[in-house]
Amino acid sequence: MELLNINYQKYKLDNGLEVILHQNKNLPAVAVNVWYKVGSAHETKGKTGIAHLFEHMMFQGSENVDKELHFKYVQEAGGILNGSTSIDRTNYYEKLPSNYLELALWLESDRMGYFLPALNQEKLDNQKDVVFNERLERYENQPYGLAWEILIKNLYESNHPYSWPTIGFADDIKNYNLDDVVIFFKKYYSPNNASLVVAGNFEDDKVKSLIDKYFANIKNGKRSNHLKVVNKKLTGNKVVFHEDNVQLERLYLSWPTGIAYGEDDAVLDILSDLLTGSKNSRLYKTLVFEKEIAQDVSAFQFSGKYAGHFTIVATAKPGHTLDEIKSEIFEEINNIKANGISSKELHRSKIGIKSSFVFSLQNIDSIADHLNSYNFYLNDPNSFSFDLNRYDKVTTDDIINVSGNYLSQPFVELRIIPKSNKI
Amino acid sequence: MKYNRSIKPSPSSEISFRMPAQGKFVINNELEIYFVKKNDLPIVRLDVIINAGSKFDPIDKKGTSNLLAMCIDEGAGKYNALELSEQFDLLGAHFSINCNSDTIQITLQTLKENFREALDLVGKILIKPHLAAKEFEREKSKIQTRLKQLSDDPNYLANTAFESLLFGEKHPYSFPVLGLGENIPNINNDEIKSFYGKFINPDNSFIIVVGDITEERLKENLNENISDWKKGNTDFHAGTASNPDKKSVYIVNKKDSVQTEIRVGHHSTGRKSKDYFSKYLLNTILGGQFTSRINHSLREKHGYTYGAGSSFNYYKDDAYFAVSTSVGIENTTRALNEIYYELKNIRNGVTEEELSFAKSSITRKFPLNFETYRQVASHCIGRVIYDLPDDYFEKYIENVTAVTIDEVNKAATENIFADSAMTVLVGDKDKLLGQLKDGNYGEIKVVD
Repeated sequence: MELLNINYQKYKLDNGLEVILHQNKNLPAVAVNVWYKVGSAHETKGKTGIAHLFEHMMFQGSENVDKELHFKYVQEAGGILNGSTSIDRTNYYEKLPSNYLELALWLESDRMGYFLPALNQEKLDNQKDVVFNERLERYENQPYGLAWEILIKNLYESNHPYSWPTIGFADDIKNYNLDDVVIFFKKYYSPNNASLVVAGNFEDDKVKSLIDKYFANIKNGKRSNHLKVVNKKLTGNKVVFHEDNVQLERLYLSWPTGIAYGEDDAVLDILSDLLTGSKNSRLYKTLVFEKEIAQDVSAFQFSGKYAGHFTIVATAKPGHTLDEIKSEIFEEINNIKANGISSKELHRSKIGIKSSFVFSLQNIDSIADHLNSYNFYLNDPNSFSFDLNRYDKVTTDDIINVSGNYLSQPFVELRIIPKSNKI
Repeated sequence: MKYNRSIKPSPSSEISFRMPAQGKFVINNELEIYFVKKNDLPIVRLDVIINAGSKFDPIDKKGTSNLLAMCIDEGAGKYNALELSEQFDLLGAHFSINCNSDTIQITLQTLKENFREALDLVGKILIKPHLAAKEFEREKSKIQTRLKQLSDDPNYLANTAFESLLFGEKHPYSFPVLGLGENIPNINNDEIKSFYGKFINPDNSFIIVVGDITEERLKENLNENISDWKKGNTDFHAGTASNPDKKSVYIVNKKDSVQTEIRVGHHSTGRKSKDYFSKYLLNTILGGQFTSRINHSLREKHGYTYGAGSSFNYYKDDAYFAVSTSVGIENTTRALNEIYYELKNIRNGVTEEELSFAKSSITRKFPLNFETYRQVASHCIGRVIYDLPDDYFEKYIENVTAVTIDEVNKAATENIFADSAMTVLVGDKDKLLGQLKDGNYGEIKVVD
């Protein structure tokens, strides 16, 4: 699809910062998006959550920008902004009226190059409290909120970089000190470990000179983001029970699979859609629509640079057990392994994915983030067509093969059950 | 290149932005269509807005409107539920139905080449839904389970308890859109059918289309697929008898919670009140943005929370003001005291600097509000639902800019009332009662 062929330029500054430009004049708006090639995978045990805490600290000011002014300046300009931390990377982004491009470049470059002089204990203590509350709000006080943490702890070996949650463990969050933050910055936040996307309404020569002005003087550091990761297979099925403040039981089944953009990654995405992506999908239709033994069911392939896993989640309706649900799920998986799927089912998934690609082009900030993501994982920002084609070429045989190759292997089964003392 | 990094860069030349033009026409059954042509991508989005929200739910049958919204696409015309869903999937169309307090909203987003076929399906759903008993029973059971599930969710409990206590039980906005668990068994399929017959008709609805299509083609497609939709009743109004505001604290007990969900607020004037823009600017300063006073205090100064904010919430026929946050249980009263302080203190006035920040933020952001097909549609829907002037968006920046500091300060004294604000806390009752006993919080009640 020609629509998915996104115009771009890519070049590198002398200090190693990768720059990707995409011009798009639909709106008088511009998106600035910076990826640092560091995520929770780069943490060590005992210091989990530092990548995410560091993301918070990046909003606490830098040498020329006082605490809270980063937010204030962008919002005053009519812009939106945020950041996020995943297993593999940390991103920071602004979307502003195009005449404020220089402001965003100034802000991003100040914290990339001049972060340390503004760091102090008071800011760290404040953000440790904020992040501790974030952990309470989004995980500990949420129904089923700790499921993910328990699942990955059991799926990966205890020293595997994907075995701990991005938010970090509560004790680790409490124990970070200033040195941890300084060391983390020096190790990972240098221009040669980052890529900058500017997308939207700008003039080509102007944007290049502004990027030069603000980023070229930042000193590069040592690149140290590469991890040696060994993925071990599970030696047998693991069954884990966890009591939570919930009324309905929920089942998680999770199999180790492969990495993001690896050979079976897209096939597993399509398999998840065939199983739970629509009313006619195999598991939704059986469990929720026809037998009414589950309230909801979902499946997804979660993958990063170093590993991945495929997970099916289902919540039992009152009066029905997780055993019933589990046996239906395996029956359906075995059915696919033995009899495959129809070409109509496959076609249905592919059509939906194709539309979603077009729908995803509506936001300039989302395009900017995609360019960085494709550049990070595939070393080519303009990979929209390549990405869609990964799905387009999946065959019915591929589906049978991945079901056999992965879903016949040992898995982790997590059961979240109501607290027995619940009144 | 030599420059002084400590100086914040100024904006380059001013930008220009023109609102996309909005057209309006009627089709053969007099259904009103609003249309915005937008062709940066080959997408067409259509929303059907029906004046049939949960505020019209019959007494003791709260949840009727939402159940209709769940059932209406479970089979229509020649398709059963699964076939209908499959037809949308084969077109790559995103189709959804949502119910809120005021309306049922049916949304279709497709690639333009599939719009006509997808619209045919929407027409069937509006005009010839099966509303079959079997599908009804399944959806009814689903919503009962869903309500049970939501009773574990502190955020849902706080929002629904707050609205219920603020409005009082007779008020049409006092109960959740999804209904009341104890009412769902009272609803049968005949009620759903009669709700459909009464409310789902073209004179009680409008359509907004945003997309890459000509007006002529759109009109033709709509006449072909929607004009058989028969006219019916119109002009429904829900009553609005509310509880008076009174300083008080209600505790929703959630044993073993590690946090307290907090809501503090009171009634407010409606969306069409003359000081709307003053209130909007006021709230932007008080709790409407990350850099607002409330978030600054609770998060960036005290570290009690991951986030805190406030808003004026507008329904079509009523409105309220509320502060919302969640904090570690041990900080509950400390956080409450900061919230009450900010509500009192805003009445002493805002600074020129705060006001100019708020104005700058809102007016400069304006073009970014019209980026996606969904954004354009939802702004236009809001304008129609709240019956705002045709030139509302053209005059928007002018109206925000014209507000004076005296008007914002007047809005504060006329719209923010710490002394009669109601507080809802969802958390561990025993821990909360202990903290609350040493303070002046008004009447304290534990509710189920």
